Amino acid sequence: MRSAYQRLGLGQDTWNASLARNTLSLVILLVVWDVVARFLVTNRLILVPPHEVLRALLIDARSGELLTHSIATLTEIAVSFPVAVAIGVMVGVILSANRLFAQIAEPLLTAFYSVPMVALAPLFIAWLGLGFGSKFAIILLVAVFPVIITTEVGLRSTDKVFLDAARSFNATPLQIFTTVQFPFALPYIIGGVRVAFARALVGAVVAEFFGAFAGYGFAILAAGQSFNTGRLLAYVVLLAVLGMVGSIALRSLERRLTPWREE
Amino acid sequence: MVEKFVIQNLSKTFSIHGKQPVEALRDINLTIADGEFVSIVGASGSGKSTLLRIIDGLESASSGYVLVDGQRVTKPGHDRAMVFQQDSLLPWRTVLDNVAYGLLLAKMARPEAAAISQRFVDLTGLRGFEGHYPHQLSGGMRQRVNVARALAMDPQILLLDEPFASLDSQTREIMQSELLKIWQAQQKTVLFVTHQIDEAVYLSDRVVVFSARPGTVREDIAIPFPRPRELSLKRTEQFGRIVDRIWRHIEGEVRRAMGLEERTGEGVRT
Repeated sequence: MRSAYQRLGLGQDTWNASLARNTLSLVILLVVWDVVARFLVTNRLILVPPHEVLRALLIDARSGELLTHSIATLTEIAVSFPVAVAIGVMVGVILSANRLFAQIAEPLLTAFYSVPMVALAPLFIAWLGLGFGSKFAIILLVAVFPVIITTEVGLRSTDKVFLDAARSFNATPLQIFTTVQFPFALPYIIGGVRVAFARALVGAVVAEFFGAFAGYGFAILAAGQSFNTGRLLAYVVLLAVLGMVGSIALRSLERRLTPWREE
Repeated sequence: MVEKFVIQNLSKTFSIHGKQPVEALRDINLTIADGEFVSIVGASGSGKSTLLRIIDGLESASSGYVLVDGQRVTKPGHDRAMVFQQDSLLPWRTVLDNVAYGLLLAKMARPEAAAISQRFVDLTGLRGFEGHYPHQLSGGMRQRVNVARALAMDPQILLLDEPFASLDSQTREIMQSELLKIWQAQQKTVLFVTHQIDEAVYLSDRVVVFSARPGTVREDIAIPFPRPRELSLKRTEQFGRIVDRIWRHIEGEVRRAMGLEERTGEGVRT
């Protein structure tokens, strides 16, 4: 006996099957949400049903507020995140190449990585103001460390047998870096980049909480203060969509860049 | 006989800071003729791999030296190529790109490197798998790529460090006879390290027996069988006698390496 799941081909590894799976989980979420909002949590200050969230979203879309907030948050991410990745990879490479640097930097890195950087957000707002600058600095700071650490670890843990093979063929240090160490580290680096993206989103929202002119975090704070739960959830949903899109894009980038990895 | 390379009074001691120094090789003297196929057998930890790494130039000797065509070895060079024990193919390169690796590092133009590599892909029976990644191949095929990668450099000396150790016994036998065919076609000087005595006897003109740590040359045995050799040679009586004789040399060393016997100073006599 085959289950309905198998008959519909939902377990297959195709684009359509994956789309079907994602749609199914979205539908389940909406149904459960709707049922809970209708029958269990009827206080509209705490939870509103999905259609009210959609209505709040449409109101903001018509007024133009949605566009303003989207531009603010998306610009922050689109500028700061790539810069964080570039700096992270560069610092990681330098640290892996220089033992002394690495030894000096290690305790600092561990400290910076484990301290919740968003705690510094109010300070950056005070230094750099309510606009883009403070957001750029905060996102950079929260996103850069996972990339530095995974780059350094990836480069440093390169299998000795690959290094020997390259040296045995008379490879120069630069050739060893480009043909062995960097390809070896690439899956690690991409892992770090994915963590960095998730952290960048959190950084952007929290930075906007502490003071901004626009952005999803700013809108969420404003909606919360006026008890407009529908509007608040609308922007949370947008953040979730942003997170998912980013994660899917990074996953497909990973597949493109590391085709040799076993599925 | 023209001598291809000479190992002269070579010793190697590893000293790692804060640890007892380990003497891996003591006073090794070996002369290998051009086109000769020589195997080194010995218990694990007899420094066989270390010797190969020193000849390849990956490691330096503590004293003594290696001469290739009269030139002292100080670093890796294109006159020598190594086939490693473990799977050392680069996972992110396809079969063809792995075979071409050494050529591309030496700044050869890509089309030329690809053409040469294709020849060795064909020679090692890998045609049709050029675009595969290593993880898509069986262990035997991966080691063939490894051999092809070394051969593509057209080295004069081929160094093989237990290349078939991780293969199952059937695959290993096939690979041995394939290696002999390739060696006969290419006329390279080969130094082959293994702990499988029958493998060494089947392949070699000479089998050098190493003692356990520190590695020293214990015996140097000429293998009289004519070439080309069939795999059925392994089932003959004379073959068995030679394998037996070498095993008697090694047995005491293996026991000692395993800590089963005290060192007696005198080895087993034959």
